[in-house]
Amino acid sequence: MIRLDNVSKVYRTERVETLALDNVNLEVEAGEFLAVMGPSGCGKSTLLNLMGLLDEPTDGGVALDGEPIERYRDTRLARLRNQKLGFVFQQFHLIPDLSVTDNVEIPLLYRRLSNRERRRRALAALERVGLSSRVHHFPTQLSGGQQQRVAIARAIVGGPKVILADEPTGNLDSQMGDEVMEILEELNRDGATVVMVTHDARLAERTHRTVRLFDGRQVH
Amino acid sequence: MLRSYLKLAFKVLWRRKFFTAISLFGISLTLVVLLVVTALFDHAFAPHAPETRLDRTLGIYTLGLRGPQASSSGSPGYGFLDRYARDLPGAERMAIYSVQQRAISYVGGRKLVSWLKRTDGDFWKILDFSFVEGGPFTAEDEAERHFVAVINESTRDRFFGHLGEGGPSGKGATAVGKTITLDGQRFRVVGVVEDVPFLRFSPFADVWVPISTYRSSGYRHQLRGGFQALVLAKSKASMPLIREELQSRLADVQFPDPREFDHAYTGAETELEAISRIMFSDTMERAHPGRLLAILVTMALLFMVLPAVNLVNLNLSRILERGGEIGVRKAFGGSSRELVGQFLVENVVVTLLGGALAVGLSVLVLDAIQASGVIPYAHLDLNLRIFAWGLGLTLFFGVLSGVYPAWKMARMHPVDALRGRSS
Repeated sequence: MIRLDNVSKVYRTERVETLALDNVNLEVEAGEFLAVMGPSGCGKSTLLNLMGLLDEPTDGGVALDGEPIERYRDTRLARLRNQKLGFVFQQFHLIPDLSVTDNVEIPLLYRRLSNRERRRRALAALERVGLSSRVHHFPTQLSGGQQQRVAIARAIVGGPKVILADEPTGNLDSQMGDEVMEILEELNRDGATVVMVTHDARLAERTHRTVRLFDGRQVH
Repeated sequence: MLRSYLKLAFKVLWRRKFFTAISLFGISLTLVVLLVVTALFDHAFAPHAPETRLDRTLGIYTLGLRGPQASSSGSPGYGFLDRYARDLPGAERMAIYSVQQRAISYVGGRKLVSWLKRTDGDFWKILDFSFVEGGPFTAEDEAERHFVAVINESTRDRFFGHLGEGGPSGKGATAVGKTITLDGQRFRVVGVVEDVPFLRFSPFADVWVPISTYRSSGYRHQLRGGFQALVLAKSKASMPLIREELQSRLADVQFPDPREFDHAYTGAETELEAISRIMFSDTMERAHPGRLLAILVTMALLFMVLPAVNLVNLNLSRILERGGEIGVRKAFGGSSRELVGQFLVENVVVTLLGGALAVGLSVLVLDAIQASGVIPYAHLDLNLRIFAWGLGLTLFFGVLSGVYPAWKMARMHPVDALRGRSS
């Protein structure tokens, strides 16, 4: 589903050059639940950003669903992200001015759908994460766990093949973290490929496979 | 998608009330000035009664004379217009009228000063005056030297107000059939028209009387001085023909003293062309009405640039605040182009609100200008045409001040945006 060939990523500023990823080779199979672990600053989020087409490798190639992503223009990358990928962030990144339903509808705004159809799909996604009773609330009126569930609903509303979760439980207590993990597991059982960055070894054990990074290199 | 953008735009504006208030203040102040200027321009140059046929009306406002030793220019004389500007091919009618002059009257011991214009009968057929009493004098009145007059409502109130039934202000008196005396000449009032604004140079006056009522008939032969003409073309298409024919007739002009002047130049021109020629001291052969419009548009643009830059700065300062949203939208499929569209919509919404505010304030400002009497007989209001201009200016302002911040926001790298740092 996702393939990284000899991928390196260097961040350059005027003074410093930082090697965030060094010659990483990785293949994520369709339907797999993969955990990415490692200490802070080891390149986990960079790896996820490359898989999510949010960033470009300095060297090497990325392929998504068998399609090599090379020098794609902004519009084409945006379409690919919209059709095939769903993101869950540690900070939730919900838009505070929009209601829960409006937040979940965001990926569908970039598709040719009627208002009614968008609303229908958003409500279905919220039902799937157990938030049917909170559709008119605003993010600030929800607990952290509920906000992350809204973020998951937003990630799945477009029916993506891949869900990329960057420390989705990092800001939650263990109980809420478990709830979010259960939802991700359920989505994986239903066919979605899930890649999750985490510090939590307990959660990583529940996935199919764990990739560890250290100083930008894949250690095993 | 647009509904979602609009919903978010209003919520963002409501959330940042101080920012919104500053933006609206700047936008509305700018647009008020532009709307007032547009209203004044419209008041002076757009088709309004009595100049309802401006699209096919030409004027002969200036006649220049050149000779071996000297040259001079000013308004044409009756003799020139009568002999060389009548029956131009393509013209439906032609009217000759004098440049307005002050005339003195004494009513009940009070000295009254009126603007007096002498016209022929066709003047009333080319121009579309609104009569509130009686009607115009005719070509026959002019030919027979009848001492008749058309006056405006203000003049009626000044002369006959104390006889009327309109209460303490004296307004509402009738005037037709009564006489007025101007510069010692008595005229019988045959019609009363609504006041004509001062900025409508051709029709403007307080009192209109036949040309033939001049004390002397010496004007009839003069090449230069004191008169102008309006030529109503049969259609817009025939206007070039009128201009060309008038030019060709200049070769036939007979000069009383060829040693002084032996060459005449003039032109049939629109009011805008005439104003432009006067403003830029252009010759009749080289008038550039486009330059006047270009200068006005440039001034309007420059006037808009400062507040636009201010709004640009305010918008730019908010990029980081909305970094998370930009990152999320990009991550979930929003392209840079779509994000530019979203932020432009937001900016246009705020400028449209400012525009609505400006329309209300402009009405108050125009009322104040009108009440002050700075422009005699001005009827300043925001008609549909000015409203359309205002809407156009507002949208232009919205796009002008929104494009750069929107582009800057949309160009943010999604990873940077999600981390809340600018690229």
